[in-house]
Amino acid sequence: MQGQSVHFDFDERLLDNGLRVVLEQDRSTPVVAVHLMYHVGSKHERPGRTGFAHLFEHLLFQGSGHVPKGEHFRYIQNAGGTLNGSTWFDRTNYFEVVPSSELALALWLESDRMGFFDQGITREKLDNQRGVVKNERRQSYENRPYGLAFETLLGLAYPEGHPYRHPTIGYMEDLDAASLEDVHDFFRSYYAPNNAVLVMVGDLDPEDALAEADRWFGEFPARDVPDPPEVERIGGERGERRGTIEDAVQVPRVYMLYHAPSFNDPAFEASDVLTSLLAEGKSSSLHRELVYERRVAAEVEAFTWPLEDVGMFLVVATARPGVSAPELEEAVDDVLDDVRTSGVSEDEVEGARNRARRSLVGQVNSVGDRADAVAHAAVLRDDPGYVNRAFDRYLAVSREDVLDVADATLRPERRAVLHVVPREAS
Amino acid sequence: MSGSAPDRSSPPPSAELRAVELPELEAFRLDNGLRVLVGEDHRLPEVSLRLIVEAGASADPAGHEGAAELTGRLLTEGAAGRGAQEVAAWLDRLGASFSVSAGYDVTILSLHLLSDVLDGGLDVLRAVAREPSFAEAEVDRVRQERLDEIDRDRDKPEVAADHTLIRAVFGDHRYGTPSAGLRESVEGLGREEVASFHGGRYGPPGAALVACGDVDPGVLLEAVEERFGSWEGGRGRAVPPQPAPPAGPGPRVLLVDRPDSAQAELRLGTVGAAYGDETFFALLVGNAILGGLFNSRINMNLREEKGWTYGARTSFHFRRVAGPFVGRTAVETAAAADALAEFVREMEGMVGHPPTNEEMTLARNSLVLSLPRQFETVSQVTRKITTQVVYGLPRAYWERYRERIEGVTRDDVVRAMGRFMEPEALRLVVVGRAAELEGRLAERFDRVEVVGPPGQRLA
Repeated sequence: MQGQSVHFDFDERLLDNGLRVVLEQDRSTPVVAVHLMYHVGSKHERPGRTGFAHLFEHLLFQGSGHVPKGEHFRYIQNAGGTLNGSTWFDRTNYFEVVPSSELALALWLESDRMGFFDQGITREKLDNQRGVVKNERRQSYENRPYGLAFETLLGLAYPEGHPYRHPTIGYMEDLDAASLEDVHDFFRSYYAPNNAVLVMVGDLDPEDALAEADRWFGEFPARDVPDPPEVERIGGERGERRGTIEDAVQVPRVYMLYHAPSFNDPAFEASDVLTSLLAEGKSSSLHRELVYERRVAAEVEAFTWPLEDVGMFLVVATARPGVSAPELEEAVDDVLDDVRTSGVSEDEVEGARNRARRSLVGQVNSVGDRADAVAHAAVLRDDPGYVNRAFDRYLAVSREDVLDVADATLRPERRAVLHVVPREAS
Repeated sequence: MSGSAPDRSSPPPSAELRAVELPELEAFRLDNGLRVLVGEDHRLPEVSLRLIVEAGASADPAGHEGAAELTGRLLTEGAAGRGAQEVAAWLDRLGASFSVSAGYDVTILSLHLLSDVLDGGLDVLRAVAREPSFAEAEVDRVRQERLDEIDRDRDKPEVAADHTLIRAVFGDHRYGTPSAGLRESVEGLGREEVASFHGGRYGPPGAALVACGDVDPGVLLEAVEERFGSWEGGRGRAVPPQPAPPAGPGPRVLLVDRPDSAQAELRLGTVGAAYGDETFFALLVGNAILGGLFNSRINMNLREEKGWTYGARTSFHFRRVAGPFVGRTAVETAAAADALAEFVREMEGMVGHPPTNEEMTLARNSLVLSLPRQFETVSQVTRKITTQVVYGLPRAYWERYRERIEGVTRDDVVRAMGRFMEPEALRLVVVGRAAELEGRLAERFDRVEVVGPPGQRLA
């Protein structure tokens, strides 16, 4: 099969204050995406303040020097746009997709919070959003079946004090402890123009858009940003870590986190193809063997996450009724061992490569998603053009590459295993 | 580089708004009645394809609720002489993403793939739509998977809340049972029921194949003719169920006990409106104001003012006949009774406190100015065309959408929303720690009844 590739013309510039600007013109729809990604996430949080980067993201929607509370959303929705923000281990992003006539509106709003956020923040707003975030934690984690599994798994996989050990949502007691002074410190430390990338994609003129970016953001001085946290790379030396928790669930689930190639690692794409081959599609090895043939699992998933300093290769299998967690784990191990030792077929690799390329197209076909992909590539890989190269890199993944990464990664000493089991009736 | 210092005191002026060009569609009809709608878009090497069949859950035989869902899941579990794993490998090798969704109105087979494997994708589509095997062993296996899934769903408070609400609002009407069925009805589904549902409902009458992306319409039409030209079967549009009457007298608040809950799930609902209701556009505007937007009354109150929740919203489930109008949120347990009372108060307020000019403008703008970004990708376009096909909307529907929304007045909104805001017709559901919730709810609401999930009365 011929490999269809895609290419976008990205233009990368640097403002005098260190703000990186990436532009791409796409006139096909009269919309434009504005995406601002700051290189700060939960891994930058200090002990006792887990969840702070995410709480801070919420506060950035509470108004700024020239924008009253509630108005940020109102302005964008009144213009027919959409907006949001998100926080993860390595970064925090803020984005708008608006009719292209409203590019300046989005830049006004984003620049106001980069430059004047601290003039608008109050104790009342902090307390309000602390309540919202605690309810987000309840809704999305504590009240959801298996909702506390992932943070427990992180606690097993990484040693005490490791920057990737705690979840982005944070712990309740740390959310309670966050103070207004913490808010001001965090803002001064990390929300500097030289710690961000501004991506604009869509119906724009690149030179005009660049001049607009300079007009709105150019006056904010560059400042010193704290050194990134030291991140210990975890390999096989830590040995297998295991744990079990109970939850209000009907059937057990097994979580495995393997220390795998990070987003920057040359083997990242092969690792991603390996997860697809294992669990994407009903003919994938884990699905075929566990769900279809042996019928021990109700569902099974695998992911390779694009993280900056560590690699997380996750396998999550849900038991069928009557199957115990140890039985399920053994069945997963049989498949992983088989892939690692007996290998995989050329057909399976080709299918996984094709799925990855189709999925890549799906990740760049809207201006909003493309801006997001570019911002990630710029912040985490220091290479916005990766978005173009990714297609060819996935296409170039060979059967040997997949076997190599499977052999290097899928070893018990490189993993943490968590069993979530039904709570005994009290 | 440095331009003039910007004026930050107020939002910058808008530039000129470019008109949206909606994609040109080519429409064909095969001799057997199958409609083929194609939008050409060569920006990326991708194609989004949807086959819409008149096989919605509303056509499930009584007592066999879930037949449409189970039939949809079984299409790929063996077809055209290939076994389940062979069909899976066929799709996976192409790299195609394939899914089947059985809603109340229709079933939709969706395919997203790179254009260089389009022919292969159409081969699979032909096989699974026309010649699914429904082998006994596969039917038994997939039914068991579905039953296991129903059991696992008991762990999810939002599912218990949704199911309890629709039962309370619709009772024995088809919409009172989830589209995918409940354990009792799914248990009775076997090879015979599934094959009979497929034979009666999958076929060209009323069906449409929609494709957008990197295709040549003429070439695609030929490829479709080759694979679907001899397709037979199906009986066309299912007779929709009669609209449900408003719920009769009954307990106002149904409290589902879930002792392990970290939060309380809240729902409010009543019988809503059909797609194409004469007040349809006024309801879109009214719902945006009440609970559709981030800046809606309910979200600003419960989230941005009180901090009780991560979010609160309302929605009309527009179907061929009136689906539910639903309000939903999840709040900390201590605030549940107050939050529910606030929710009811905001609904009544749609009549008592008519929308302000500012609210009307925000709602209308968010609906019409967002159109361009709703037609950006090929998958979005096929979704919009699907809506037109399913609800029989005129070809120029999206062109006229703007004027219809802009013609909605404040009085229209009050009148239209007023039909659904009557507190007596509302059913309220709370899923959470009943021991803490029951007393507080009883202080606020006349009738509170503790029930088991989903909707079964406790002894």
